[in-house]
Amino acid sequence: MKRILTAAALLAGAGAAAPLAAQDTRVGVVPGGPHPYFAAWEDAAKDATAQLDLVAEYHVPAAWDLSQQNAMIESLVGQGFNAIAVFPGDASGTNATMSELKDFGIPSVAIGGCLQAPTPAEFCLGTDVYQSAYLGTKELIEAMGGSGNIVHLTGFLVDPNTSLRIDAVQKAADEVDGVEVIQVIADIDAPEPADEKINAFLAARGAEADGMISTAWVPSVVAATALRNLGDKRIRMVAIDHDQVVLDAIRDGFVDGTMLQNPYGQAYIGAYALDLVRGGCTVKPDAPFDTTAQTDMFIDSGTAFVDASAVDTYQDTMIAVTDEIMDGFKDTYMDCPE
Amino acid sequence: MTRTDQPAATGADRERKRGGAGMAAGPKPGRAALGWLASNEAGLLMITLLFVLLFSQLTAGFTSLFNLYALTRVLAIDAVIGFSMMVVLVTGGLNLAAGAIGVCGAMAAGWFMQALGLPVWLALPLALCVGALLGALNGALTVWMDVHSFVVTLATMSIFFGTMILLTEARAFSDLPPGYVALAKTRYGFWSGLLVVTAIVGVLLWLLFHRTTLGRQILIAGANPRAAAMSGVPAGLTVIVCHALSGGLAALAGLMLTSRNGAALPSMAGQLGMDWLLPAFLAPILGGTLLTGGTVSVAGTFLGAALVTVLTNGLLQLQVGEFWIQAFLGAILLIAVALDRLRAVWIERRRVR
Amino acid sequence: MSDQGVTMPRAVLSGLRRHEWLGLAAVLVLGIVAMAATQPAFLSTYNIYIMLTAFSLSVLIALSQMVILAIGQLNLSVGGLGGLAAVIFAGAMDVLGLPVPLAILAGLAVGLLGGLINGIVTWRTGLNAFIVTLATLSIFKGVNIGLTEAQPFYGIAEPVKWFGNARLGALPALLLVSGPVVILTGVILARTMFGRHLLAVGGNQQAAALSGVGVGRIIVLAHVASGGLAAMAGMLAVARLQLGQPTIGDDWLIVSFAAPVIGGAVLAGGHVSVIGTCLGVAIITLINNALVLLRVDPFAVQLLLGFLILFAVGLGRVRSGR
Repeated sequence: MKRILTAAALLAGAGAAAPLAAQDTRVGVVPGGPHPYFAAWEDAAKDATAQLDLVAEYHVPAAWDLSQQNAMIESLVGQGFNAIAVFPGDASGTNATMSELKDFGIPSVAIGGCLQAPTPAEFCLGTDVYQSAYLGTKELIEAMGGSGNIVHLTGFLVDPNTSLRIDAVQKAADEVDGVEVIQVIADIDAPEPADEKINAFLAARGAEADGMISTAWVPSVVAATALRNLGDKRIRMVAIDHDQVVLDAIRDGFVDGTMLQNPYGQAYIGAYALDLVRGGCTVKPDAPFDTTAQTDMFIDSGTAFVDASAVDTYQDTMIAVTDEIMDGFKDTYMDCPE
Repeated sequence: MTRTDQPAATGADRERKRGGAGMAAGPKPGRAALGWLASNEAGLLMITLLFVLLFSQLTAGFTSLFNLYALTRVLAIDAVIGFSMMVVLVTGGLNLAAGAIGVCGAMAAGWFMQALGLPVWLALPLALCVGALLGALNGALTVWMDVHSFVVTLATMSIFFGTMILLTEARAFSDLPPGYVALAKTRYGFWSGLLVVTAIVGVLLWLLFHRTTLGRQILIAGANPRAAAMSGVPAGLTVIVCHALSGGLAALAGLMLTSRNGAALPSMAGQLGMDWLLPAFLAPILGGTLLTGGTVSVAGTFLGAALVTVLTNGLLQLQVGEFWIQAFLGAILLIAVALDRLRAVWIERRRVR
Repeated sequence: MSDQGVTMPRAVLSGLRRHEWLGLAAVLVLGIVAMAATQPAFLSTYNIYIMLTAFSLSVLIALSQMVILAIGQLNLSVGGLGGLAAVIFAGAMDVLGLPVPLAILAGLAVGLLGGLINGIVTWRTGLNAFIVTLATLSIFKGVNIGLTEAQPFYGIAEPVKWFGNARLGALPALLLVSGPVVILTGVILARTMFGRHLLAVGGNQQAAALSGVGVGRIIVLAHVASGGLAAMAGMLAVARLQLGQPTIGDDWLIVSFAAPVIGGAVLAGGHVSVIGTCLGVAIITLINNALVLLRVDPFAVQLLLGFLILFAVGLGRVRSGR
């Protein structure tokens, strides 16, 4: 089977079985779907193309849907892309496509979020969703003065990462006496239900709540707006990601901080690493990878809690993190032929 | 639902479909040929081939082996999703819960194989039964409550999907038997092996509707439930049977997709399974199955799925700018159905003359 | 598949029509009493305000669908069109810097135009509206994504933000839009020639045509009205969220159908009820609110919602004596 597929790959001109340094690396950078989080990936792909000896292009599936992402990746392979950096449409489900790509001699890395091990992806460069939610909750508890009631706002339950986030917030709360997660509000990735449910919570139980932790993009934006509308600075809040509304709310004191990720670095370093792999490098088995709930081949692309003091300089922080990972990347994680 | 929608067009339409379904043996051979040309299937085939030609000229990647293999695999699954909707459309109903049932079937199969350790040959039929059972529930509720299945399945979509989420806590089953996962990787030339499954299902469905008493009863009851009931056809039963069949086919599509994804995923059809709605409706409707019930075209549904798959794939290859792909796809589909309609009307007029 | 009431004597039918929403009103009151008795926060001014806000938005979505249900068709593009109008409205302010009234006109124009396309294509080709709007849903959503590249528009004018957040006690300013629209829709359906023709086309298109109703004109106008209502809902969502989110409208499908159907709309056409639809929206809003207030396990929310819709529909059948 594998032989046939490899032959097919040759016929299709889709990429050679053994990586050839002579052939230009063409990296497809594929997000899960249209989403503001990934805007920085496009810049990163352009910069990587300009600065490194490779071609990286950012290609967005038409909708946030695993099948559409698979179709996008398959069509990229048809177009001659020979390396894929992907935000997994599904932590388990994207493995099948990646393993097919591997059969075709096309390496892949998971960026942004991880693939569930065992995985054919070379490694995962991203945010540990569990750790990020855990640390965010810790920051929230600190802002709350060490005790109180927390409400957790999160995204689609159908996303396996949501369960991880719920567990992580619960764990962080369990570790501190006097802290309790009094409610989890989920499935609020669409803005209108988010507005309805978050405000209903604030109306009914706002007085009981001392802190809000949001682990999804839309709830972060909507909750920050809700607190601003109410003029409520008593309820502490920690959000996720870098929507302008959230950053403004941090500046104005309605939100304590946000768990920032490093999307630019993910795409830039991902493209760089794929070029190394295509150049004949292999991932060092004994490299200092971290272990997460999903994989033991994890590289932290940088997660930072950003509060009012750092909100205007966070981009520099992330560039510094990116540079730091880039600097030692080849020696730390790769075995390369001379 | 739309029985009163376009009554003037409906009668002629139905005639046309009948003619197209392979029964166009008119008195003169010339007329028969025209009759075939007037059929939806012929129109779809021509439009699809036209686009295949277009894309293979305009893009380098479209005809590559890998792309055709990937394309036919998507087609195999989407056609079964289309069949799943088709068999309910025949009754004049709809099944919004097709995606939810598909996911439930897939997750059930995952649970059977991974948690219970059942062998594949037992787990897959059981999962199909789960799908058929959920479908039968839709049918029974539709008959018993005497409301349109649109409303029933709007609610059960939420119920089935919600139950699945509650039971699985959205965790995937990714440790499936390798033999099952390998099914979706089989390949004959540039055809995906999954097309064999689709072809078998298609033939069985064709036999059901065109060669069995039950199939005839379904078509009669779908065309006019009142008249059917008066002439002794168990209209209620046919509705339940069709919904059960739809559930089983949705589960089958779920199992094929699970094999392709290598894991049973709660997210594989999107929130509430609604990501399946577009392929589910487009294939049979493009294929000439009427929303008003009483008609069916198995080949048309397959060709409808083929057109959509070719368009989607080709547009990706063309690199028209991904953010605009969805808009292009919608526009081309609209033009395609409108043109198909004009073509049929035109030929119908000539034939009458 | 079953067109309710065709075989019923007309007198019985009109009697039922007049009072059919009483059962829904009873359910609503019962639910409110139960919630008020068990959840002290339920009747707080802020919670009532929140529910009325959600109601103001959802009722426009439901009416947008109801107008099309009235002529016996389905409109799958309500959310797609509402979302597109929302980002055009927001983009007109943010990118083009247009003053608010012009931005509103732009958003509304998009809605009306989209509806016009739906209507003309449906009428001219004789295609089922279901398939037409399935395709235009893809077009509207696609243009939305194409224009925004999934990025929200942030530069919403202050008056709009203010309006989305303003309230008098428990009454949201949004009601100033949706209230008159609901009343107007009710009056048009019940008291005008257009309303009568609309229902006539839905009830029996051929008979309507024979009695001199311009069927094509009515179908096109119904779709235009639907588009306008969807656009208003989209713009209210922008005001409420203070943000032009490209994902506005993605979640409207279920509520758009569930509310009118719970409210007694017949999918075969010819029979819709504005009061029933409002009650349907109110019940759905109440359910959503109750699920949060009662701290229902998030994993069970979807399941419960489905059962409640089924229950409400079943109740409707009992109510209408079938």
